[in-house]
Amino acid sequence: MNELKQYFYFLIIPLIVIAIYFLNPADIFVNGNELSFVSILISCFMIEYFIQKSKNGEDIYLRPIPAMKAMEEAVGRATEMGSSVLYVPGISGLDEIDTISGVIILGHVAGMTAEYESDLHVPCCVPIVMEAARESCKEAYLKKGRPDLYNDRMVHYVTDDQFAYAAGVNGIMLREKPAAIFYQGKFYAESLILAETGNSVGAIQVAGTGSSSQIPFFVTACDYVLIGEEFYAASAYLSGSPEMIGSIKGQDYVKLLCMLFIGVVFLFSIFNYFEIFTFDMMTLFNINITN
Amino acid sequence: MFIKRQLAIIVMMSMGFLALSGYFLNFPTLREFTDKDAPQWYMIIAGFAAFLGCVNLLQLHIQKVTKKQENWQYSIFTLLGFLVMIVFGFIYKNVDAPWGAHLKDDGSAFYWMYNFVYLPLGSTMFALLAFFVASASYRAFRMRNFEATLLLISGVLLMLGRVPVGAIIPWWVVLFMYISFIFAIIASKIKDKRIFFISFLSTNIIGLVLGTQLKWNITAPLFLSIPSIQEWIMAVPATAGSRAIMIGIALGVLAQSFRIITGRERSILGD
Repeated sequence: MNELKQYFYFLIIPLIVIAIYFLNPADIFVNGNELSFVSILISCFMIEYFIQKSKNGEDIYLRPIPAMKAMEEAVGRATEMGSSVLYVPGISGLDEIDTISGVIILGHVAGMTAEYESDLHVPCCVPIVMEAARESCKEAYLKKGRPDLYNDRMVHYVTDDQFAYAAGVNGIMLREKPAAIFYQGKFYAESLILAETGNSVGAIQVAGTGSSSQIPFFVTACDYVLIGEEFYAASAYLSGSPEMIGSIKGQDYVKLLCMLFIGVVFLFSIFNYFEIFTFDMMTLFNINITN
Repeated sequence: MFIKRQLAIIVMMSMGFLALSGYFLNFPTLREFTDKDAPQWYMIIAGFAAFLGCVNLLQLHIQKVTKKQENWQYSIFTLLGFLVMIVFGFIYKNVDAPWGAHLKDDGSAFYWMYNFVYLPLGSTMFALLAFFVASASYRAFRMRNFEATLLLISGVLLMLGRVPVGAIIPWWVVLFMYISFIFAIIASKIKDKRIFFISFLSTNIIGLVLGTQLKWNITAPLFLSIPSIQEWIMAVPATAGSRAIMIGIALGVLAQSFRIITGRERSILGD
């Protein structure tokens, strides 16, 4: 019965929704977005399936990610050295998923600093991020039973300008000499300026960003880097809740599906090249690719 | 408590679903909301937060100066900069242009400060990046292991391929580089240095003779041209690597968005 229910929820329902989208009754759906719709739907149902599995008690293995283990070590090191922890949430607003992920990870880092009783310093570039970061830190300190250690000044506004912000944060690094620095959020050209200064003060640095062009700079200058999806999985990993961990497994299966599709597209390209058969897969999804 | 917890989660979830459905549903009103109205709402909220940011900045630095906390002297400069820009923006404009328009008027004090103080300072910070790139490259290019050596070689080839001098490097130099690289890899396997030297030398001579016979000095094959190697590195291994990271990022964004929209990820609300 349970299996039947699962088949219904995770196979029949998505198929029905996809069929409705393709039939497009009364022209209620946008034409041309079929591929996006199908991929988002399949991915979401796959993630949901593993969340449910994990909730039902299935043991899920997560490979250890060094950067996430290093987060606690870095905070511990800062406590031992009597220095502060600097957390840089990037230079974008809350309309960027990277910044949201950065603020979520900040909550976990704030929990660690509350536990270890070390100082936390969060300079913000966007005022709305400052407000969210404050709320996140306040809650983390409360959860750890140390609201007395929290003060509003630990999360403060610096400036909106990219390089003025980099100068401000560099100043904080050089004056305070933090023992641990976290860069988690959306970064642009200032990433290397920040990471190199952090390196010069001898801090242990943990970076994470979704800006693919900035990852090489962080890899060069930081001790640990959350690359690609690791950055988005960090909050789920750190929370340790089965629901969140299930979503990571779902995400990995979606990745496997992507790899299979890449293989299929590669095969079709070879067939097309040798003119064994000339079938354009994109016609399946009403997408016309022009050269 | 309801406003801070449940209502916030309801707003977060419903806005997420609305934004997503605006992309797929053929309702112009919904599309207009997701494309125009919602970003405008965000801008309005961000505008209010900007005021809070300014208040926070002033509060923090005034407190530092009045209590003479550590490094309070720097705060004086921050406060001065803040006040000067406010005066030039709202009180003193130095031109006849109307308020607001004076911000873009060549003769206004605000414009002068922006052009000759603010912008050069930003450019100075940006220019510092060159030195940071140099120090980071030095660290990255140290030959600690095989991967770092590969990075160094591809880095050198890229740099050479992107400058005019790269195009005039003859084919036999590139051939010599290839042979040297192969012999560097197998060096540890050959114990006798004499055999190693003789085989290295003879391979180079054979390569030179073969290349001359094949008239590579007239038309060199692509794998012996530095600009072509550079193009290949950028188009094949670099693109493959960056695409793999991009796919990972896209999947990460999707899973994170799913967790937020379904209300499972609530840490952003301080929960």
